[in-house]
Amino acid sequence: MRSDSRSDRIQVLVAEQAALRGARVGVVDVCTAAVVALPVGGAGVSAMSRTAASHPLCSTDDISEQLEELQLTLGEGPCVDAFTHGSAVLTPDLLTGALQDRWPVFADAALEAGARAVFAFPLQMGAISPGVLDLYADIPTVLDTEQLADALAFADLATLLLLDARIDETGGPVDRALADRGFEDLGGYRAEIDQATGILTVQLGVGIDEAFVRLRAYAYMQGHRLADVAADVVAHRLRFSPDTEPRRTDEET
Amino acid sequence: MNQQLLAKTFVELADNLVADFDLIDFLRLLTDRCVGMLDASAAGVLLADRDGKLRVMAASDERVRLLELFQLQNDEGPCLECFRTGTQVAVPDLTREVDRWPHFVTAAHRSGFGAVHALPMRLRDEVVGALNLFHATPGPFDPVGTLIAQALADVATISLLQQRTTHRSTVLNEQLQTALNSRVLIEQAKGKLAERQNIDMEQAFTTLRGYARAHNRRLSDLARAFIDNSEPLPGLVA
Repeated sequence: MRSDSRSDRIQVLVAEQAALRGARVGVVDVCTAAVVALPVGGAGVSAMSRTAASHPLCSTDDISEQLEELQLTLGEGPCVDAFTHGSAVLTPDLLTGALQDRWPVFADAALEAGARAVFAFPLQMGAISPGVLDLYADIPTVLDTEQLADALAFADLATLLLLDARIDETGGPVDRALADRGFEDLGGYRAEIDQATGILTVQLGVGIDEAFVRLRAYAYMQGHRLADVAADVVAHRLRFSPDTEPRRTDEET
Repeated sequence: MNQQLLAKTFVELADNLVADFDLIDFLRLLTDRCVGMLDASAAGVLLADRDGKLRVMAASDERVRLLELFQLQNDEGPCLECFRTGTQVAVPDLTREVDRWPHFVTAAHRSGFGAVHALPMRLRDEVVGALNLFHATPGPFDPVGTLIAQALADVATISLLQQRTTHRSTVLNEQLQTALNSRVLIEQAKGKLAERQNIDMEQAFTTLRGYARAHNRRLSDLARAFIDNSEPLPGLVA
């Protein structure tokens, strides 16, 4: 099936942007790759949180930068709605009357900044929701099915990159391994990955974002597939603890 | 077929759809009724993600092995075939299909299933997923039961489009993505509760669902509050 390799293809596009930049893959590369691949003029990512202040992370041009800052300052706009409701907000034309009611201040300000169509995609994985990917175009624009699926794949990759950036912050040898290894497909067999993430919040006493980061970091360090590590956690063959290295147990269920 | 039960089931499903319902909770109810009405031993609703991979949205039993059996069909099996062709796939005797689906038949047999029925979930021209029914004993499917099963698959499809969010996108694959994300949320909450209470995944699910109902909450709202520790949930976390 052609679409089977969508995630791979998107990953390659993003890696190419990183190579052009001569740096390791980061969220900014998702933005530039999205602009190349999709009929949009610019892209930006903001880190968002229910408990802490949100802030813009990167953008590809001035208009994108303004859009990110506008929304976070005003507290309204597609990006805010996408984050709050956990679903994409597709706005093919900001001049549509209803939108002026929905975002009275943002709609005008965005038009003035030079945006005409705005698309916002929540970066999310269940309760993990570290931010939003925003795209804009300067003419009325509708994303077709394929383009929308690509945009969703860009958002998924941005989610993983944002979470990995937190591993980088905590340092350690993990980040090198992550960069070399690329991203595993989280699609088909993921129920146990999500369950294991929930389990780790208890075993490690950490939030859901951190639990997922630790699960992945362990898988990469051990050179195991994420799905296999998750299966071990769910089956109680592997236990994490806050103070010591994860340890394998023999108590099968 | 118990006609009274049938009528009651459709009334119940319709009532749920009209109310402010939770998609995962609704689909679980639907799979439970498949088991109750159609003599299935287990039932699952699978949705295709944007990469065309089938993912479990709801199952009549949340234990890991059953979920695996559904997921396994991303490689081979009646559910995958049903999804790809958009037509029903009836397998009244799995032992006859060892050559066709060697891994799936072995796994199904290990879980105690002898027959499988997969019904497409169609929306206009698009196949969005499949309803999968497992039977413990081999044998032909009742034609009336098959009609009802397809009707239930159609109800499951409709429910996808009915789920409430305020600024609903009208684009199908984005809607499916949102639906799948709510399933991810439930899995994370199941994991957390199972570990904390030392219970299995099915018990964790029914505990969460029971709590949501008792407190008049949507299951996914409850799951998020539980994961985020954003409010005290007396009685859920002892």
